[in-house]
Amino acid sequence: MGLLSIHIKPNFLGLLKCLNKLNWFIVFFSLINLSVCIYEDQIGKFDWRQTYVGRIKFSQFDTVSTAKKIIVATEENVLAALNLKTGQVVWRHVFESASTGNIQLLHVTEKVVTVTGSNPYLVRGWDSSTGVLLWEWSLTLQNEEQADFSEFWVQNNMLVHMLPVFGSHVEVSMYNLLTGQNRGATSKLPATWTNDGCVLSAPYYTCISGGVGSQQLLSLDVTSNAVQLLSRPISEYVNVNTYDGGLRPLDSNNVIPAFTLDDRKIVLIKNNQFEILKTEVVDPSASVALVDTANGQVVVQAWIDENEGFTVRAHAAGSGAEVPELRMSELGLRAGAVELAAATCSRPRDLLVCRLLVTGDDDSLHLMQQGGRILWSREEALANVVAVEFVELPVSDLDAAIESEFDQKEAAKMYSSIWAAFTRRLQTQFQQLQTLIQGLQKADGEPDEAPPALVRDYFGLHKIIVLVTDVGKIFGMDNLSGALLWQYYEPSLDTENVLVFTRRTARYPPHTAYVTIVGKHEESGNGLIISINPITGELIGEKLMHLDVQLLQCALLHRPDNDKLYALILLDKDENVQILPGSAAPLVENMYMYVAEKNTARVQGYALMYDGKALSAVRTWLVHLGGGSPARIVVSARKPAAERVHSPGRVLPDRSVLYKYVNPNLVLFVTEGPDPLHKDVVVATCVDAVSGAVIASQVHRRARALPLAVHTEHYLAYLYYNDKHRRTEIATLELYEGASRWLAAGAAFSSHAGRRAPGVERQAYILAATPAAAATTVTEKSLTDKHVILALASGALVEIPWGYLEARRGGLAEDGSVVAAQPAPPELMLGADASLNYNRSLARPARIHAAPAGLESTSLVLATGLDLFYTRVAPSKTFDLLKDDFDYYLITIVLAALILATYSTKYFASRKILKMAWK
Amino acid sequence: MRSQIIALLTILGVLNYAACIDYDGWVNIKIEHSLNCGRDKYCSRGNISLKSIRAGSTSLIEQIPFTRQHIAELQNIAEVNGFYTIRTIVTTADNSEGTEFFSSVKADAFIEKGLADIINVWVLPNGAVIAVSFQVTNTTQPLNKDAKSHQVYSNFFLRYVELAPIPDTASYVQKLEREREAREKGDVKDNRSFLAKYWMYIVPIAIFVMISGATNPEPAGAAGGR
Repeated sequence: MGLLSIHIKPNFLGLLKCLNKLNWFIVFFSLINLSVCIYEDQIGKFDWRQTYVGRIKFSQFDTVSTAKKIIVATEENVLAALNLKTGQVVWRHVFESASTGNIQLLHVTEKVVTVTGSNPYLVRGWDSSTGVLLWEWSLTLQNEEQADFSEFWVQNNMLVHMLPVFGSHVEVSMYNLLTGQNRGATSKLPATWTNDGCVLSAPYYTCISGGVGSQQLLSLDVTSNAVQLLSRPISEYVNVNTYDGGLRPLDSNNVIPAFTLDDRKIVLIKNNQFEILKTEVVDPSASVALVDTANGQVVVQAWIDENEGFTVRAHAAGSGAEVPELRMSELGLRAGAVELAAATCSRPRDLLVCRLLVTGDDDSLHLMQQGGRILWSREEALANVVAVEFVELPVSDLDAAIESEFDQKEAAKMYSSIWAAFTRRLQTQFQQLQTLIQGLQKADGEPDEAPPALVRDYFGLHKIIVLVTDVGKIFGMDNLSGALLWQYYEPSLDTENVLVFTRRTARYPPHTAYVTIVGKHEESGNGLIISINPITGELIGEKLMHLDVQLLQCALLHRPDNDKLYALILLDKDENVQILPGSAAPLVENMYMYVAEKNTARVQGYALMYDGKALSAVRTWLVHLGGGSPARIVVSARKPAAERVHSPGRVLPDRSVLYKYVNPNLVLFVTEGPDPLHKDVVVATCVDAVSGAVIASQVHRRARALPLAVHTEHYLAYLYYNDKHRRTEIATLELYEGASRWLAAGAAFSSHAGRRAPGVERQAYILAATPAAAATTVTEKSLTDKHVILALASGALVEIPWGYLEARRGGLAEDGSVVAAQPAPPELMLGADASLNYNRSLARPARIHAAPAGLESTSLVLATGLDLFYTRVAPSKTFDLLKDDFDYYLITIVLAALILATYSTKYFASRKILKMAWK
Repeated sequence: MRSQIIALLTILGVLNYAACIDYDGWVNIKIEHSLNCGRDKYCSRGNISLKSIRAGSTSLIEQIPFTRQHIAELQNIAEVNGFYTIRTIVTTADNSEGTEFFSSVKADAFIEKGLADIINVWVLPNGAVIAVSFQVTNTTQPLNKDAKSHQVYSNFFLRYVELAPIPDTASYVQKLEREREAREKGDVKDNRSFLAKYWMYIVPIAIFVMISGATNPEPAGAAGGR
């Protein structure tokens, strides 16, 4: 353009120059992502939220209101309404997680009534369609000790509270449901026959009492004015010799008082008489429900049959004849044991239509219809996620072929001649052409409905999240959509302190990806190892492995074996070492482990040695972080395994470099213990886990520790509650080697050679919020800034740049001189725009997990708790990615127009020069 | 035969840190190792006694010299790249039973550095010891293999667990005060006239008015002329 403008008149030239500049500004500004937070149209584009309610405790169909719903109350102290057609949450109330939020009663009529808490109880009425609170009153019992055995139910618009005092009497009080007004005093019914095996089947209280062989079945209507005790010898119903005291109320019943006896007989109470049903309990594990239909009551039983899977049988209560419409079996539903949570039947057009709400042992919830069809399922196990691992997807077959072609070793093996290589190249190119044509064809036709194949995308944003839940169910989830890809349920897995290791990524094509979950056996407490292919959910390798010892610690070996598999090292209670697979034992070298006892604050270190035959663990160090006083470790934070540190130092304002102390073996322990002078003290200690040396330590007086700490590179942060000022504070530590490097660049760090103590920078900030979880962002190469992500009890997920938390501060004055650390605001400002989840509040956040994406700028974040929330963050902005609404068309048009203008002006200019030459 | 070594003792910032020690008291550290012990698992290597945690300056390290037998056993460990493990039992006035600590150094490094080590003892403000760790020094004085007995050179450091900083509210409030004062002063200073302050806005407007005033009469005059 410069050449062109020489030939043109000055004012035209000026205009062109101006245009030229403007144009580059347009290009420049469209390349830079100026946005800090997301725009309204980006909601849900990079993130998703899933809401859960937890394991169902009570449930009832709301058949009264027009929009059909299921009202559920859960073990997580959540009251919610689920859409009958889709299973989605219509409204939800999350109560306190402590015992004050325990739901004792759910009663659904036009209004929803709940009783929550444990002395004092709160009685609340809710609007069933909106979930709005209508009324509330509290109920306090005088008798504290027995309060746990309280029973509530609603009868004739009265709330009945029954309090049995075993072996003595039963106290019954009735309250007006709306106001809490007590109708008369509490009545005490003498009942010396009560014991803790009694069941309530409102309004009858039923017990089995008496000596072995002469037991009596006793039942009492506790609400009637005249005390009328039903009593029958149990021998009339069951064989006394085999009877072992089984008395259970029905799982779902709001029709008639009934219970099962000895898991075999079903007994009703009709007209103040026991009435035994002709139908017997089919399977001892069956869940029994009594459902009211248009022509009489129906007994519905459901259980998991070994051959047929989930099975339902229904019998008419009166005649005992089977109701064939309700016979169903479903092989696909495998959920351990099942329970009929609720059932409803209607009879439109002379056809019996029943809907059964079934909960499984694995916390799943299914709504079933006639013929065993599952209308929808909810995986409520996800309300309690205990461990998370992000797993890479494998490359597509085509990419794998190309990779193997250019793999040096492989190539040398396969293509001895130049011709073999040439044909191979042609083949690959033909394949590529094929996929291209297929892709074009697909683009022409209607967009394909099939979900995208599970292959790695160009930016590495697509991953699989392996989620281990409290109940022992393991899920594989697509991170982009949040859809469940596979699930695996292991009932005997105790997930306390469960660990998940990625032992092989999907990067090595002939080998599959390999994830190992190390937990405990529910009963014995011994180690339980589950190895799974995270892409398909199949068990691989060790599969399900029961160890015969309890485990102290486990870790991955730092180098892979020939199959690219990282071996798993297990240290058991007797300080013996096992390695899986056993063939990897010779690879063990310079391997260390530490074991921290939570309740005594004793930490010991082990060195693992391989003597040519077997592995052994030698205890090398032992420290008492509580200093002998009864302290406990609240949290320990180590660095992420194989963490990369991009820059070894930090440039100071005067252009000198302050080198970071990057010790990969450093572990932060935060302990809490009593102190005679300062109430509680919190001690934070950085221990080198290899040598056992204490690197830094500091103490907070009159404080209580919170189980939240982050630790990456050379910096650490942990949260504690300051008792003196009654606020939460965050303490940050940064470790520096100083102005010169201790080791030459690139030299391996050795804990045994560490004889120098690093400089420690400390700072503390006030956090005006209640934190529930903390994590740092992780990126592929650690080039990007690190941000700390805090989940607050208010439901926000807040991103704080490390710069705000920095322990070492300082800057340049205007004249270029270095100024000492400026007094920073002592309180961390958590702006509303720092919230990652904008207006989508998270109920009870518990954990945050961050994983790197293939893009350096991006980190993937998953917050778990009652809700799951996934998003991606770019701490240094998306410097390697065009912004989301980048206008490709505008830029193309502008460029094309400019090129056109250039050539046309060139043409006109040459014509003008020619004309001028002729003049 | 027992030789006494008065160790070089360094207290890091005595004045600064010792202030956060709540109690004062004595500490006795019994050092044991498993070299040349006969049938016992551990036998004595020496003893460190400290009269005052707060002062810390008068500590006495008594250690047995290593005989040839000791060195031979140490070399056996070094051959398998093993660890020389030291057990310490710390007794204080409050804790008469003693607390047990372990620490290890690489046996080969210990021989190489001529049996010189650093002992770090970390003390909480309440006087309790949380860790006793041994490290080899980085001095280079090779072991004289022919000597009958070898001294163990130990440097003893007493390290205090520091009091963590608290959020610095006071200085920030002061800073805000200073800024406010500066602003107030600034307001007083800026008492220039209206014109002096805003001339840069007034001048362009004036020029604009003048230009438009100069061009307007022309059409008016033309109209009048017609």
